[in-house]
Amino acid sequence: MTSAYFISQLMNGLCLGAIYALIALGVAVIIGIVGFATFTQGEVVMMGAYISFYVFLYGGNHVIPGILGSFIATWVLGMIIYKICYARFLDAPEHISLICTIGFSMLLKNIALIFFGADKKPMLNVIKSINYHFGPITVSNVQLLILGTVLILVLILSFVFTKTDWGIRLKAVSQNREAAALIGIDVEKTAMIGNSIGCALAGAAGTLIGIYYQSCYPTMGATLSMKAFTSATLGGLTSVPFAALGGILIGIIENIGIAFSSASFRDMFSFGFLILMLIFKPTGFARKRSVRA
Amino acid sequence: MMEINMIKKYLLKYGTAMLLFLLPLIVSKSIMTVVCSIAGYFIIAGALNSINGYSGQMCFGIAGFYCVGAYTMAILMNTFHISFWIALLPSGIMAAFAGMLVALPTLKLRGMFMAMLTIGFSEVMRMICLNWTSVTGGTMGIKGIKAPLFFGIKTSGASRYYYIYLVTALLFIFCTNRVIHSRIGRAWMAIREDDMAARSLGVSINLYKILNFMYGAFWAGIAGALLAPYKTYIDSSYFTLDEGFNILSMVIIGGQGTLAGPMVGVVIYQLLVEGLRFTGVWRYIGCAVLIIAMMWLRPQGMVGDSDSVLAGNKTVRTGSNLLSNLHWKTPGPIRKLIISVLY
Repeated sequence: MTSAYFISQLMNGLCLGAIYALIALGVAVIIGIVGFATFTQGEVVMMGAYISFYVFLYGGNHVIPGILGSFIATWVLGMIIYKICYARFLDAPEHISLICTIGFSMLLKNIALIFFGADKKPMLNVIKSINYHFGPITVSNVQLLILGTVLILVLILSFVFTKTDWGIRLKAVSQNREAAALIGIDVEKTAMIGNSIGCALAGAAGTLIGIYYQSCYPTMGATLSMKAFTSATLGGLTSVPFAALGGILIGIIENIGIAFSSASFRDMFSFGFLILMLIFKPTGFARKRSVRA
Repeated sequence: MMEINMIKKYLLKYGTAMLLFLLPLIVSKSIMTVVCSIAGYFIIAGALNSINGYSGQMCFGIAGFYCVGAYTMAILMNTFHISFWIALLPSGIMAAFAGMLVALPTLKLRGMFMAMLTIGFSEVMRMICLNWTSVTGGTMGIKGIKAPLFFGIKTSGASRYYYIYLVTALLFIFCTNRVIHSRIGRAWMAIREDDMAARSLGVSINLYKILNFMYGAFWAGIAGALLAPYKTYIDSSYFTLDEGFNILSMVIIGGQGTLAGPMVGVVIYQLLVEGLRFTGVWRYIGCAVLIIAMMWLRPQGMVGDSDSVLAGNKTVRTGSNLLSNLHWKTPGPIRKLIISVLY
C-alpha cells in the first residue's frame, strides 16, 4: 500500500467523518435536550438529501440554497417528529418514544419510496470537481466544501449555545428539566427547538452526503443513524464536542479499515466500535454527568 | 353453571386444535403460505416477547439470533448432510450461545444503550454471514436446502410444512407458559417492573437476565432453523435490521408481556400486509401508522399487560406495587378468549 493511497484514504475518512460528526451532533443535541434516543435520524438525513436534490433540479446547481432548503425543511420535519414521537411521552418510559421513532422512520422511508421512487437519483456536477495538490496531499474542492460547511455549522451551533438566549435555555433544559421549568422556561417549546436543531443538522448533512456520493436513494439512511449514535457514545451520548470528535474518528476508522481489508466490511468497523465502546465505556469519556447507562 | 363453562372451554380448546390441524385440507395453498408465515413469525415474535416483554430488556436485534439459527441449520444440512430433525436442536443451542454472548456485556446496560448494542450485534452477525463466503455463500446465500422427510413423507410446500410450524409453535407456547409461571418467569417479571426491588428481594438479576436472553435467542434460532428448509434458500437479506423492526412492531402491536400478545400482533400485522396487498407499497405506510397509533392509544399493545411499566406507568418504588404486578390482572375480552383457547 502506497503512502499516497493511505493519505487519500485518510482524507476521505476525514471528509466522511465530518459528515458523520454533523449527524452525531444532531443526535447528541436531541438526546441531551429532549432526553430520548432517536431512530429517525438516518431518515431525516435521507429527506434532507432528497430536498436538496429537488432544489438543485429546479433551482439550478447552487450549493447554498440547497443546504438552506434542506435545513429549513428538516427543521419543520423535526417539529413534526417532536409532536408525534416525543411531546406526549416526555414523562413515559423511554421505550415508548423509542418505538414511536422506529414507526416514524418506517413511515418516512416508505413515503420516500412512494413519492421519490426506489431508484437512485443522481446529483451530478453540483460543483465541478477540481483537485488541488499540497505536496503529497490531494484535496478536491468537494471535500473542502464539506469540511468548510461542517465547520461553519459547528461554529454557528456553538455560538448559539453559548451566546444567545435560546442556547442558554437549551442548555438549562438539557442539564435539569425540572429546574428549568421552575425558573420559567417553556420546557416543551425548548425541547421542540432542540429536536429541530438536531434534525436540521442532519438535513444539512444529507445535502453534503448527496453531493459527496453524487446520488440519493430512499434506503441511504439505514445505517447512518446507527453510525451517528456510535459517534455520540464516545461522549456519553449527550456531549456535543465529543460527538463531533467521535464522528470524525468513525469516518477515519472506517476508511483506514477499508484500506486494509475490503469495502464490504465498511459497516463492520463502525458497529465493532459501537459494541466495544458500549462494553467497555458505556458512559463515554465526557466529564459531564451523563444519562444512566 | 361451572359444568357448562367447562364444556364450553373444552369445546373451544379442542375445536380450535382440530381446526388448526385440519386447516390445510380446508383452505387453498395460497392462504396456507400466509398461515405458514404467521406461524413462523409467531415463534420469533414470541421469542422476542420473552426477552422484551417479560424481563423488560430492550433487545432490538432479534434478527441476529434468527440469522444464527437459519445459517446453522442451512450449513448443517447442506455442508454436513445432517438430518433436519437432528440439526434443529443445535441450531437453537447455537443461537442461545449467541444470546449468552450478547447478554454478558449488556448486563450493566439499560434502555437505549442496550437497544443499540443489540442492533449492532444483529448487524455484525448479518455482515459476517454476508462476507464469510467460504462458509455462508456470501451474497449468493445457501441454495437447495431440502425440506425434511417425516417417516418417508416429504414435507415440502406450505400445506405440509405447516405441520412442522404448527407443532413447533404449540411446543413454544407450552414451554413458555411453563417457564413464565415458574420461579424463573416471576423473576423476569420482577426485574422488568423494578430491578432494584427485585435484587433486594434476593433475585439474582444477572443470572436471570442471561437466562432470559438465552431462552429468547434459543427460540429465535429455532424459528430461523425452520425458515431455512421452508424457503429452501437463505441469504443475508432475510435478516436485515428492518426485519428485526418488523418483528418488534408485531410484538408491540399485539402487546408485550403476554403470551397472547405476539400472536395477536403477528396475525394483525400479516393480515394487514396481505390484505392491503392491492394497495402496493402503501401497505407498509399502514403498518408504520399502526405502530405510531398503538403507541399513542395503547402503549401496552392490543392485549398487553395494562398495569405494568410496559403500559407507560412509571414504577413507584413502594414494593406493594411490585408484588401486585406479578399477578395477572383480570384480562380483557380478547385476552380471555385467547387464554381459554391456550390453556
